[in-house]
Formats: sequence, structure tokens, C-alpha cells
Amino acid sequence: MRKTYLFSFCFLFFLQVAAAQQSKLLSVNFQQATIGQVVNDIESKSGYHFYYDQTSFDSLKVTLQVNDKPLETILDMVFKNTDFHYAITPQQQVFLTKGRQIKTELAPGFLTTTTANVSKPVSTVADYTDERDKKVAEATTENKVYEIGIKTNSIPPGNATLSGYVRDIKSGEAVVGASIYVVNTKTGVATDNFGYFTLSLPRGRHILNVRGIGMRDTRRQIVLYTNGKLNIEMQEQVNSLKEVKISADKVANVRSVELGVTRLDIKNIKQIPTAFGEADVLKVVLTLPGVTSVGEATTGFNVRGGAADENLILLDGATIYNPAHFFGFFAAFNPDIVKDIELYKSSIPEKFGGRLSSVLEITNREGNKKIFTGSAGIGLLTSRLNVEGPIVKDRTSFIFGARTTYSDWLLHLLPQAYKNSSASFNDANLDISHQINDKNNIYLSSYISNDKFRLNSDTTYAYSNKSIILKWKHNFSTKLFSLISGGYDHYNYSISSTANPVNGYDLSSNIGQANFKTDFTYYASSKHTVNFGLSSILYTNNAGSFEPDGVKSLVVPQVIATEQALESALYLGDKYDINTNLSISGGVRLNIFNYLGPQIVNTYAPNLPKEPDNVLDSTAYPSGKIIKTYISPDIRLSARYLLNDDLSIKAGYNTLHQFLHLLTNSTSISPTDVYKLSDPNIKPEYGDQVSLGIFKNAAANTIEMSIEGYYKRMRNYLDYRSGAVLILNEHIEQAVIVDEGKAYGVEFLIKKTAGKLNGWFSYTYSRTLLRQNDPNAGELINGGAWYPSNWDKPNAFNFTGNYKFTHRYSISLDIAYSTGRPITLPIAQYEYAGSERVFYSDRNQYRIPDYFRSDFSINIDGNHKVHQKTHNSWTVGVYNITGRQNAYSTFFTEQGGVISGYKLSIFATPIPFINYNIRF
Amino acid sequence: MRFYFRYILYFAFAATVVSCKKPYNPPAIALAGSYLVVEGVINSGSDSTFIKLSKTVKLSNATVTNPVVGAVVSVQGDQNSAYPLTEAAKGYYVSPGLNLNSSHTYRLSIKTSNEKYYSDYVPVLNSPPIDSLSFKIIDTGLTVYSATHDPSNTIKYYRWDFQETWIIHPIFSSEFISNGDTVLLRTEKQNVYTCWRTDTSSIIVLGSSAKLAKGVIFDNPVTSLGHSSAKVANEYSIQVRQYALTPEAYTFWTNLKKNTEQLGSIFDAQPSQINGNIHSANDPSEPVIGYISVGSTASQRLFITAKQLPSWPPPYPNEDYPHGDCMSTIALYTYYPKGSTIPVNQVNEYINYNKGATNPLIPYLPIENPGGPLLGFEAVAPICADCTLQKGATNKQPAYWKF
Repeated sequence: MRKTYLFSFCFLFFLQVAAAQQSKLLSVNFQQATIGQVVNDIESKSGYHFYYDQTSFDSLKVTLQVNDKPLETILDMVFKNTDFHYAITPQQQVFLTKGRQIKTELAPGFLTTTTANVSKPVSTVADYTDERDKKVAEATTENKVYEIGIKTNSIPPGNATLSGYVRDIKSGEAVVGASIYVVNTKTGVATDNFGYFTLSLPRGRHILNVRGIGMRDTRRQIVLYTNGKLNIEMQEQVNSLKEVKISADKVANVRSVELGVTRLDIKNIKQIPTAFGEADVLKVVLTLPGVTSVGEATTGFNVRGGAADENLILLDGATIYNPAHFFGFFAAFNPDIVKDIELYKSSIPEKFGGRLSSVLEITNREGNKKIFTGSAGIGLLTSRLNVEGPIVKDRTSFIFGARTTYSDWLLHLLPQAYKNSSASFNDANLDISHQINDKNNIYLSSYISNDKFRLNSDTTYAYSNKSIILKWKHNFSTKLFSLISGGYDHYNYSISSTANPVNGYDLSSNIGQANFKTDFTYYASSKHTVNFGLSSILYTNNAGSFEPDGVKSLVVPQVIATEQALESALYLGDKYDINTNLSISGGVRLNIFNYLGPQIVNTYAPNLPKEPDNVLDSTAYPSGKIIKTYISPDIRLSARYLLNDDLSIKAGYNTLHQFLHLLTNSTSISPTDVYKLSDPNIKPEYGDQVSLGIFKNAAANTIEMSIEGYYKRMRNYLDYRSGAVLILNEHIEQAVIVDEGKAYGVEFLIKKTAGKLNGWFSYTYSRTLLRQNDPNAGELINGGAWYPSNWDKPNAFNFTGNYKFTHRYSISLDIAYSTGRPITLPIAQYEYAGSERVFYSDRNQYRIPDYFRSDFSINIDGNHKVHQKTHNSWTVGVYNITGRQNAYSTFFTEQGGVISGYKLSIFATPIPFINYNIRF
Repeated sequence: MRFYFRYILYFAFAATVVSCKKPYNPPAIALAGSYLVVEGVINSGSDSTFIKLSKTVKLSNATVTNPVVGAVVSVQGDQNSAYPLTEAAKGYYVSPGLNLNSSHTYRLSIKTSNEKYYSDYVPVLNSPPIDSLSFKIIDTGLTVYSATHDPSNTIKYYRWDFQETWIIHPIFSSEFISNGDTVLLRTEKQNVYTCWRTDTSSIIVLGSSAKLAKGVIFDNPVTSLGHSSAKVANEYSIQVRQYALTPEAYTFWTNLKKNTEQLGSIFDAQPSQINGNIHSANDPSEPVIGYISVGSTASQRLFITAKQLPSWPPPYPNEDYPHGDCMSTIALYTYYPKGSTIPVNQVNEYINYNKGATNPLIPYLPIENPGGPLLGFEAVAPICADCTLQKGATNKQPAYWKF
């Protein structure tokens, strides 16, 4: 076992001169030698002459002892795991370079290569194995054949595993979701969040086609002898900045086992016109089938009939409770930092849980590992700065981004009622990634967002998200790797008012969660990929504290007792490729939820409404005592059957539990929402979903089509009693009623991913219905009949498209239509308390007018010369071209003794915008 | 090291951008039925009890008034006591002071032509006195506040209603009046330049001390007046009446207020059903609107004169006298048209209703040459000179008027 470390912190140094062997076999012994010492030593023992730039090699210290090896082997060892390269000419000249390799006629490694294009500066590809001395990276080329594993004269039958990273050659960043498609076997994989892939293949020669979002397609030729590694570097596609690529994996639509999974790259997101020209990662989610908006100018969204709180929003693994800024006008994610987003609405992997409807995974970029870069921007409402770069070149990098606002001027344009308002928000990200060695990587991500605003009153609202997470990725072998993470997420809000000195108050609440999670992936064989792991979340929920504000305040402090709970889960899943056509993915997740003391819990008389009059007993539990445990297993199943190369049928079934509930009497996520953990009186929400889809690719995988249908049941869904008070309510169970729900729908999607015209359109027919027919609940809603939920929008249509006239000119068009959401309408009027008043219909029996909006923009790029001082581009557009006054809400209110109906519209006129970007 | 700097320029016609509120009239809503509406408080003291019965009407109806006449209404105690109410006006049922026993609970019984309704039995809650009424000058005008406290710390929830009275003046002061045949000087009693206009509250005012350590309501806003309001142009008086509420009654009123007054901003909740404490005897699912409380009330009056207020801009035009209606005045003469010997008497034609004026105007200023004979009158539309034509206005000074 020869293990050679080039980096050591020992300061011993000696150089032993060994006699050179006759031909070109050399013996060396270096201890912490500098490049100069190494070169002098080798030059003295051989006829070689070295050419190199001393300053590039000042970080290199060489510790190596070798006997009777050719120069190539020695240099391979010397430069192992570094960014340094060498090239040897027949004239016994040795060129040492950093970052790039000089091509010579004689390729090192005694490999057969075709003539490489010398004029093209190209990336290097490392080619190493675990089992033996690696061969150092070669000049990249698509025509070169890489040998993986221990070379043997004859290739034995059977499979071997190929794994490695796909990285951006320029920044060293991982390319997530890149697809690696093996032509011979018609199999493919996509890289994970770290750019890592593992592929089990028959031994022998293969061609790998590699595609990544915004990257130039490339391919690799390999000969697979034994298990081994191949790192692939990709080049950015410079000439097509505006290309819409929906998914990196063009074959994934048909071939992946999952249903209802969509990945979008930040480039797609930036292409969609938004109200003020600020790219918004959440707005684009709303264009996907099965996703509807809670309301215009909000980022709350509903997935397949679920409430806004049933979406798990993860930013690099950290849970974000309030993903919006500024009353919901903006997503709280910095578009300069975000790399891509992935939405799971049906096949939710077993490693996720705790929410009923969807998982939205937002991934930030890794910092540039090669050079420092940055950008600064001044926008209509926000200013931003981001800086990134290596801390240790090629190993450690950071990325920092921050945004802040000066939006008060906009508020002053709002109607009179908001004239004296103010708002401010900011957010910041700092992510550090470090490669310890080939097998270990650590990632630190941190995030903070703050919002503070005052509507036209003396009441100030403020809220803040904070998250920090540390992840350690360890590769045990090419078949088994693990990701262990720990972190803490926190969300708090407060409302304060000092308008009346006696009633001056400060109302605040917060929720924190400490997370620990391990995920293991084991590539058992070419047919089995096993995932397993465990996770644990300790929640600390302070649902409200009401404190006096000001010396004259008579407010009695009231604090809702802190709730604690531990949500743990164990999961195991297997993706099983039964044959080339049939794959299944199955998993189980065992959720264990412990509601913990200290707490005082009411016991209610059975079969009576949970009302103060029906409290039988009130029990105080000590700290740490497990008050109630819910053990709830979940099942995740999906299967894909390939009918032919570009047509597949998929089916899925999953069950989910949710233990954390957002209580809001409003239809949107407002900052005054109250969180509640499941307890003995509030059972976990449960949902299960069966889905079926047909997936078809056409025109060389440039057109993707799908039809997906689903049926979903929900139990223990929380709705509110009429006039329920949710804030500072110590007994939330008395304010809520438990509904059952059902949702079903069919989603059509057509995407065109290449060509002059690209984009997608989607149509969804769906229904979401709720029912409260428990006579013991104290209040029957609509007499116990099914009623549409607040976000039941049967017809939804979206079109997002981009047409490229030339590489410099393109136009984008967005069209969105949906049925108006249900409302409770007044049906009669009467006089009461000196005024005419209205009597409301049954809950949600009517609908607001349909929603329609179209946005248009023209994108003009400057010239595309790569090396110039400034790059500039224009975006000219109009948001809501038709100026349709979509109803954000409708309401009936009394003014001067007369009842009038009103419709509140936001963004009710065409909003033109011009965006000029210049980079230099 | 490289840095990208990005400058973004925006042009947004933002003035019209962000949000707008427009009338919304959904297609005709078919009405399932017409529901009973019960309004009033059972006064447990020596004051009269008024109960108003009506039925809901369709939204498209122009008039909302739909009284229930001929019902049999009574207050019933939990110990079989009964106090009948009599119908004093259409839909208004009245009883003189009931002087109820505070230790008992009472309900309202209603028998209409085809159904019986009962309220729940409700405890007697007597309101503590109002400690003070006050007002503060704010940017947009003034706000009236009330304060109270409950020494026993038992009453936590309150409701207030109020009656405002203020002096109004029309734009034109008329010293003349037509008796139909001729124009005379007005007498004191025929004064139509100074009126006392009275209006009752149309908003629900609620307050709670439930979250305070003591049962104190300190300066709870009752109503706000804009500085252009005619109410504060001269002299203004407000009588505030205070009711004590049970938590359930408070919930009902809060809900009613939320449903009909507080909706419309971005953060508001959707409306919800309103459940009162009155039920049909035969069909518990039949909606009945209203909440019956039992208790005595407290009241107090506050006076404000324009002298106590900053010199706000002149009150015209205002909601009582929109300027547009009183733009034109007309000069009326008796004269001989050219070449005619028959006089044209414009005064008769436009003012004297017995002599030809069909829509008589009000003369307000004589037209005469200095020292010469009366030639005619300047006249205006009645609404511009006669304050008694305003809703709720009288030219008789109320007894309580103290200025």
C-alpha cells in the first residue's frame, strides 16, 4: 500500500542524491522539497531540462521516495492531486505548467490519442483510480480514450462502477444535474447536488455523452477495466446566453423513474419577465403545471391542492420558513447566488418528509475555485453585491452575496392609505466549500434575511429568517458515499405599536429547529441504488409573547408556553432497474414525532367540540417528558416502464405526514402567521397521493411532453372556526376544526428545449375540496358538504417562451391564465347597528373573476466577443401587457351607510420596464 | 481579480402601478331566502328596551328596510317571568323600563306569523359609567375618545354607539320666504340658515381590557372626523352610549365588524359566517342574524366648538353641501319685454308657488337700486339655502344644546 501525500506540515528537509540508472529510470527521495530542489535533482540525474515559472509553484512541497521509475511516473506522483501538469518533448524538454497542460506530440501515459487541437486551450481531465497509482490528468478531449481502472490485457465480463465529478472548467464549480448518457447501453444518470455521479456499466469501451445546463455538450470515450473514477470538466456555452434549457437531462423526462419533478436553472429564471425586472426564483415556479399562486404579488404557492404551508422550502438543506420579502412582492433568495431550483410535487424522495405537498430545493452556487469575481448591482428597489473566489485555490472557495432595499419611494406611490408606510429588507448569504481531499468535502452555508415594515399606522411588523448548516460529504468508495449535515434554522416575527401609551405592545413569536441528518447512497450494483439515512429535527416554537411597550403601558405580559418536539425519521429506499425497460423506486420512511414537555395540555370530553366548556382536565408535564408520540410510516413508490426509446409510462404512490402547521386566517402567507406543532389535541396532517404519467420525447429529445394525473387525499387538515382568534391563543385546538380534503387533477406539459423558439406551456385541470362533517366538531361548514378550498382553481394555463432572432436579439413572452379562486360572497343585505350590512353565502361558494396576465420582453445583447472591456445587454419589457385588473381580493364594505363591493387589484396596468446591464 | 459592475436603469410608470381598488359587482346572486334579523339590547335598568325585527333583502334591492310587523315579542326570565313588548312602529318593539334582577338570566322570544325564535339565556351585564369623553387633534382632523374602568374588574368587553349633532349652515342665508303669493321677510321661527343635524353611528366600536391587568379602557377611539367635515365647521356634540358585553357577544360583534367594515386591505382575512345567539325553534339550521345582550347602559355627551379647533380650511364643499349643486344663482325681476305692455313677473314664475312656480326657488337677496324700489330677488335652489332639507336636520334647538 503506497500512499503518497504531497502536502505535509513536517518541516524536515533532506535531499538524497541517488545514482541515476542508465536508461531513464530514476530514483529520488524528496522531503518537503521545493520545485527548484526537485528540478535540480532530476536534471542532475538525467538529461532532461525543465522549463517552468517559479512563482506558480511556490506552494508545492514534495515528499516522495521512489526507486527506479521512469520520469513520467515520478512526475505523476509529484503532481498527484494538484493543478500542476507536465509535458515531455522528445528533445528531453519538460514543461511544467499550472492549470493547463501544454500539448506535445507525445502524449503522456502511453495512450493512444488522436491529434489534439493545440491552438485550443483546453481543460484537463483527471483520470485516477483508487486501486493504483493514478494517471494524471490529460488534455481534455473528446477523442481521447480514457482507461479507467487497472488495465488488463483482456477485459473480463461483468460490470464495474464509474464515478466522479462534473465541474465547470472556468470556475471549478460543480455542474448539478448534468446528464451522463451512455450510448451503448442507453442508460444515463444525472449528477447530484455536488456534481457527483456514479454509474454502473458493463466493462469495456463506452462513449459517454455529457450535457449540462448552459454548458457545451461534450463526450468522453472510456475503456472501463475495473471500478474507477473520471472527472469531467465542461465548458460554459458562451454564445447562447439566452438559451432556454428546461432540464439538463434531455432524456430524464422519459427515463427517470420520478414523476412530477422539475428542475430549473437560474438562467431560465432570469429570462422570465417580472414586475420590476428583478429575477425571482419563486415566480417561475408558478409557471409550472400543478402550481398555482396564492395571489398576485405573493410568493405563497399551492402545489396540487396543498396549502402554502405544505411546501418544504430548502435552501442548501436549510428550511426557510418565510421565503418572501416586502409583503411577499419578492422572493427572499438572491438571484445572483442561486444556481438552480428543483420542485418535487409527486415523487418526493424518501429522504424528505414533514410536508404534505411538495419540496422546493433551492441550490446556491459554489464559489469560484479559480479566480476572484464579483458583481454589484443597483436596481429599482434593491442594491446588491456579491463576491466569490478561492481561499485556497482549487480546494476552498467562498461566495458571499447581500441585498438591501430602499423601497420607501415605491410605497409613497401607493394609494393614500399607504402613504405613511415604510419598508426595508435585506438578505445575505455566505457559503464556503472546502475539498479536504478526494474523498472528503465540507460545505458551510449560512443565510439571513430581515424585513421590517410599517403600513399606514403606528404598527411596525418585522420578521427574520436565519439559517446555518454544515455538510460533510464523504466517499467511502466509488459505491458508497455519505452526506452528514447539521444545522440550525430560525424564524421570528414581531409586531409592535406604541400609538396608545396605555396599550403599547410588542407581540412576537419565533420558531427554531436544530437539524441533524445523514444520507447514504450505495450503488450496490448496476441494478440497485440504495439510499438510506436518518434525520432528526428538534423544534422550539414560541407561538407568541405579548409584552408592554413603553412605560405607561398597562399591558400584562402574556407568553404562550414554549412548545418543543422532536421529529425524527429513518428511511430506506432502493432504485431497482429490473431490466432496461422497467425501473422501480421504492422507499419507506418512518416518522417518529415526540411532543415534549414542559407543557400544559388540556384533555377534552370525547365526542364534544374542543371548547372551553368541554375541558375535562388540564395536565402539566415536566421538561423533557414525552407527552405524545406519533409513529407514522410513509411509503414512496414509483415505477417507470419504457415503451420505446422516447416513450415511457410512470406511476407513483406516496404518503406523507406533516407535524408543523401554519395557522393563518388569511389566504396568503402574511408575516403574522402562527406556527403550531402537533400535540395530543392536534393530530398530524396526513396525505397520500397516487399519480400516473405518460412521458414522450420527440424531435431528438428537443421536445418533451408529459401528461400526469393524480388523486390525493388529506386527513386532519386544519381549517378555522368562524371568527377564530389565532394570535395569542393558548388553546389553538379550540380555534380550529379538522377537515378532510381531496384533490385530483391532470397536468399537460410540452417543453421545447432547443432551437430558435423554446419554452414550455402547461395546462392543468384540478380540483381541491374540503369537508367538515363531524357533528362533534361544534360547527359544520356548509352543512357538512364538500366545499372548494381557497386555492381551488380548476383550469390553469401557462405559456413561457423565448424566440431568438439572432444570438443577440430575442423576445420572451409569458402568458398565465387560471380560474378565479373561490370566495364567500354576500348574498343578502340587512340593517344592523346603524348601517347596511351583508349576509355571506356558504363558504367558498362563488369565484372571483378569472386571472389572466401576459408579459413581454425584448432582450438585446451587446456583441459576443469574449474578451472585451464591457459586456452590456438591454431588456425592454412590459409586465401585464393587457393591463387586466386581476382581482387580488374582493370585498364588500360599508361606507357612509351603503354597502359596496370592491375589487383590489395589484399591478393593474401595463408596467413597462427597461433594464440596462453593463459588466466590466 | 476581476469585478463585474452592473448598473441597472429602470423606467417604470410607477404612479399607476401598484394597487388599485375598483367597484366590484358580481353577477346577480340568487338569494336562498330571507332571514330574520334581530337587533337590540334588553335593558335591565329603568330605560326602555327597543327590539327591531327585520328580514334580509336581496343585494340588488334599493331599499334595505324590510320590517317584520305583527310579531309577538317578549323577554323571558329563567324563572318563568315574562315581559311582553309592544310594536311601537313598523318592526320596532318596545317595553318601558324592565328593572330586571341581575342574578337571573333572560332571553328574547319572538313569534312571527309562521315561526318561533328564541335567543339563548343571557346573563345581565350592567355597564360601568363612562369616565370621560375627550378629543385629540390629528393630522386629518380630530378623533373622539372614551374612557371607562370597571372597579370590580369583571367587565372586559365593551361596545359603544353614538349620536352626533352639529350645526349646519347652507351656502346662502335667506332672509325672505314666499307664502305662495308673495315674498315676505322670514321670522325667527322660519329660520332655515341654522339647523341641528343629527345622525346615529353607522360603525361598530368595540374595546377590550381583557389583556390588561386592570379593567381599564383608556382613550378608546370612538369616531374620527375629517377637518373638511361639516360636523366640525361650527358647533358639534356627540352622545356616546356604552354597553358591557360578554366574551361571546364581543366575538359576535367583532365578527360582524370584520365582515362588514374591516375587509379590503392586503392582509385581511376572508369573511366568515356570523353566528348569533338567536335560533329558530323548529329548524336549528335556519340562519338568524343578531345577538341579544341584557344589561344597562351608560352614556355621556361631549361638546366641541370650532373655536377649540385649529383654523382648518373652509368647509365648503362638504358632504352636506356639495358645491356643484349650488353653483348657479338667478336674478328674478318683474319687467316689460320690448314692445309689450304685459309684464313678465319672474318672481311669481319661479318663487311664488301659488302663482305659477312649479319648482319654487328660495329668494335670498333683494335687488334694489340704492334707496329705490324693490326690483326683484336673487334666488337659489332650496337645498342651497334651506338647512331643514338636509336629512336629520331641524331648525329647532335641542334642549341639551349648551352653547
